[in-house]
Amino acid sequence: MAAAPDLVLDPSLRDWVLFPILLVMILVGILRHYVTQLLQSTPKQQDLLAIREQQALTRGATLRANGKFIPQYSFLSRKQYLTQAFKEGEFLKDKESFLNKDEPKAPANPLAEPGGMDQMMNMLKGNMVMIVPQTLLMSWINFFFSGFILMKLPFPLTIRFKSILQSGVMTRDLDVRWVSSISWYFLCLFGLRSVYDIILGSNNSAGGGMDMGGMGMGMPGGGGGGLPGMQPGQDVYKLHCSEAENIELASHEYLLDEIEDRLLLKYEMY
Amino acid sequence: MDRKELEGAVAPISSESLAQNTKAVYYIRSVTSTIFGVGAGILGLESYFGFLFYFAGTAYVSLLMFFILAKGKPAEFFTSPSYVWTGNAFTGLTSFVLTWTMLYGLVDA
Repeated sequence: MAAAPDLVLDPSLRDWVLFPILLVMILVGILRHYVTQLLQSTPKQQDLLAIREQQALTRGATLRANGKFIPQYSFLSRKQYLTQAFKEGEFLKDKESFLNKDEPKAPANPLAEPGGMDQMMNMLKGNMVMIVPQTLLMSWINFFFSGFILMKLPFPLTIRFKSILQSGVMTRDLDVRWVSSISWYFLCLFGLRSVYDIILGSNNSAGGGMDMGGMGMGMPGGGGGGLPGMQPGQDVYKLHCSEAENIELASHEYLLDEIEDRLLLKYEMY
Repeated sequence: MDRKELEGAVAPISSESLAQNTKAVYYIRSVTSTIFGVGAGILGLESYFGFLFYFAGTAYVSLLMFFILAKGKPAEFFTSPSYVWTGNAFTGLTSFVLTWTMLYGLVDA
């Protein structure tokens, strides 16, 4: 405040612009959180065989990851059983058609499968919940609260921000630190994240801004009930075969081999 | 199986606990950055001093997390021990700017 206070703001600006925008932004965030929760479709009940088809892959991966906890012969017998079953298509959903060497009628188009459609819908919903309130809020602020200076930023900005942050204020020489309400909107948009974290707990879906894109992509995976790397329309038999190969390649080392030596070594009994 | 691998297998890292710890750091950063913003606004800090205040505060919180929460051994709680110092150090910056600006304006007006 070295230069004399060149502008004096009306306190009613604070009561009728600053606080209402803040309040509305917080409430919209909370609303968005709950709407997102409501819109999430519950995972559909899948039939037994379809679930088994997916879980078989998990089983193979689990064996590979945790094989070190079981002795050699257990590992080998599981390995043999799983590789054989995978290769013979034991876990496939429609085993008959596989055994009869039917051509898989696999629809290559993910839209044609109901699971894929679900994913698309979920993503679309997430984006809608994001975009609609933002557009509405921004036009609301532009309509009601434009054309005046709302506040002074505590830090200087370069002159390039002037056209954005002082939109609607027709002064050429005003310091960029004096900004209009649209910049308060932007500050709220990016800064309210932690306020939502405090109110709604972390992992909320109220946050505006960048991270929603990633979350929108991540969530539908749970809705489809699929595994990561399990796209609809993919040939499941091929996946099973590759899992069988992985298991065959997996090396096994029993964790308790030479445990006596290690134990004695640890307590320096040697 | 070499020595390090063996130790990892005997005492595996629980991913749930790791996620929980990471979340705790994130939450602490969020809350404290908001509070630092309030402080900076009330003190009427301007430009660089405000950001310095933020970083000093963040470093102080890191110190507290290092000694009180992690009891000086962050390697037991995170895969990378420096997470206590650097993890999420910038996530709170926007919240800080928000509350700083608001309180600065309120005190000034």
